[in-house]
Amino acid sequence: MGLKVMVVDDALFMRNMLRGILEEAGCEIIAEAADGMEAVAKYREFRPDITTMDIIMPVKNGIEALSEIIAFDSNARVIMCSAVGQESLVHAAQAAGALDFIIKPFNPERVTEVIKSVAGN
Amino acid sequence: MDMSQYRDLFISESREHLGRISELVVGLETDSGNRETIDALFRVAHSIKGMAASMGYAEITELSHKLEDLMDRVRKGTLAFNAGIADLLLEGSDLLNVMVNDLAGGGSGCSDIASLVERLVTYSPDGDSATPRQTVAAPMETASEEAPVLAAEVRNPPIKGGELQQTVRVKTQVLDRLMNITGELITNKHGLVTVAREVASERLDDTVNDLSKLLRELHDEVMQVRMTPFAAIADRFPRVVRDLAKQSGKEVAFEVVGKEIELDRGILEELSDPLVHIMRNAVDHGIELPAERRAAGKPPKGSIRLVVSREQDMVVVTVEDDGRGMDPARLIAAALDKGLITREEGERMSPREAFMLTCIPGFSTAREITDVSGRGVGMDAVRTKIQGLGGFVSIESEAGKGSRITLKLPLTIAIINVLLAMCGRLMVAVPVTNILRTLEIRHNLIFSQDRRKVFYLDNEPVPLVSLNHLFGGPSAPFDSDVVPLFLSEIKGRKVGLTVDRFLGQREVFVKPLGRPLTGLRGISGAAMLGAGEIVFILDIANLT
Repeated sequence: MGLKVMVVDDALFMRNMLRGILEEAGCEIIAEAADGMEAVAKYREFRPDITTMDIIMPVKNGIEALSEIIAFDSNARVIMCSAVGQESLVHAAQAAGALDFIIKPFNPERVTEVIKSVAGN
Repeated sequence: MDMSQYRDLFISESREHLGRISELVVGLETDSGNRETIDALFRVAHSIKGMAASMGYAEITELSHKLEDLMDRVRKGTLAFNAGIADLLLEGSDLLNVMVNDLAGGGSGCSDIASLVERLVTYSPDGDSATPRQTVAAPMETASEEAPVLAAEVRNPPIKGGELQQTVRVKTQVLDRLMNITGELITNKHGLVTVAREVASERLDDTVNDLSKLLRELHDEVMQVRMTPFAAIADRFPRVVRDLAKQSGKEVAFEVVGKEIELDRGILEELSDPLVHIMRNAVDHGIELPAERRAAGKPPKGSIRLVVSREQDMVVVTVEDDGRGMDPARLIAAALDKGLITREEGERMSPREAFMLTCIPGFSTAREITDVSGRGVGMDAVRTKIQGLGGFVSIESEAGKGSRITLKLPLTIAIINVLLAMCGRLMVAVPVTNILRTLEIRHNLIFSQDRRKVFYLDNEPVPLVSLNHLFGGPSAPFDSDVVPLFLSEIKGRKVGLTVDRFLGQREVFVKPLGRPLTGLRGISGAAMLGAGEIVFILDIANLT
């Protein structure tokens, strides 16, 4: 797909896994961030096509980071990553400008599908 | 999707999280409303759950999920954090630790979680669902199993621009191999230096000089990469102290200062057990019961501080408590009683030497053996271990005020500075960190006392031991007019070790002795010198 993606998650495990799935799907991971604050800074620096954003993170959570990214770039394409049972957080994120969401544990097909659909928007 | 590639990362990252749980729980016990700590505990459980679910480890997922739910109730304010919740969280992290260790050992990571899950789900502050916690067998285990452990993070200098990752994870085995190769290179360089001297070529000398500089740089970098912050072992200590204090009905505030100080991974791994032992002693023998403290005009809660600092090329670790301290006279009396010292020795002893009596094997003044400490292996095991690492132990104490145990450790163990000495036809190497000083004494200043040779240093008799004799050489030492010797500490006491002559200081790469030489008493390893000759490294702590 040649998309430039930034992966945001506080767990290196999750970042590596998403990197594996996304690279398999032809994306290029141009940045990784381990908390919301780093995500906002790196978004400004790298301007990824798509950002995958975990919600529960230290320093600054994913929804706060999302809001700041959208305030900086209203066209930012952000996909939230959440766990089962966090529907209310997902709704809050969508209200704040997230385009879609993927549920952990990640299903590679679902991840690829969501990335494609968001990229096509 | 093949998840096996992520298994090691799951294990190492879970262990990091689990290590934090104890610290966070203990933190909340002193500051139960701390929002950040509550959030952090929630996130830790949440992270483990997410990773385990991805790996398909059902039990780990379920248990961490239930821990997350419990913390969610605390986070949302429907439950107030209390001792019952602390116990459940710690029990949960213990059990998760067991399961992760099982995975690391090649197992399936399964365990019986039903009872704990039940208690987590039904927990309410009124019903006492936190029944007394069973101590799970392996919570104290550090990450040192055979399975490759991804522990060290390698820092790259930050590079601006398109640099994606500033840290990479490297298998610790790779670091060990790097160290090994660097050590071999240094041995090789010594060989080149010897050849260069024989050939007497200026150009070769220059090249060898440049090589030496580069090797030093390489050595420094490799050492730097192997350095691990003290936090890697310290994070479990608050939990250890908490549990010990609970068992003995004492109240203890515990603090670690200097967690960011870095040490060689090899030393750090060896340091954990001795420190736990010292803290055990501090809780069990040092800190008094709350009532006793109140009666002595002290706050009911005792304090134990673990302070790590750097002093030139040594790391200093101190454990200090504000407990009852030690009485030198009582220690001397106990040692006399057990026949460990003579009356004369006892009379001459300084308080500092008296405190070091606790490091003599078989010495224990605990009036009774408790569950917490005092099973015969005490400070002597600590001292042997620390000396084996090329370090020193010292003890200060004041009756009624408290004690302070200080460990001085070298930054690294694999490549060390040694003093070379000849004993008969045998060349030995003494780690310089084991040497208090070297000196030469005139033969006529050596006296016989109780069938032992001694000499007087600062008006104190210091026993003399001939290394030559110790290694089975001719037992007619001291035949020249002056006797070279070095002063060291064996079993907490000063000893002069005589040699035939000193050959100078050298940097060597220490290798462990393989079979069948592993059990050689007084020898800790060997190193190769420039011309290919092998020199044995003295293990001062176990010499006699």
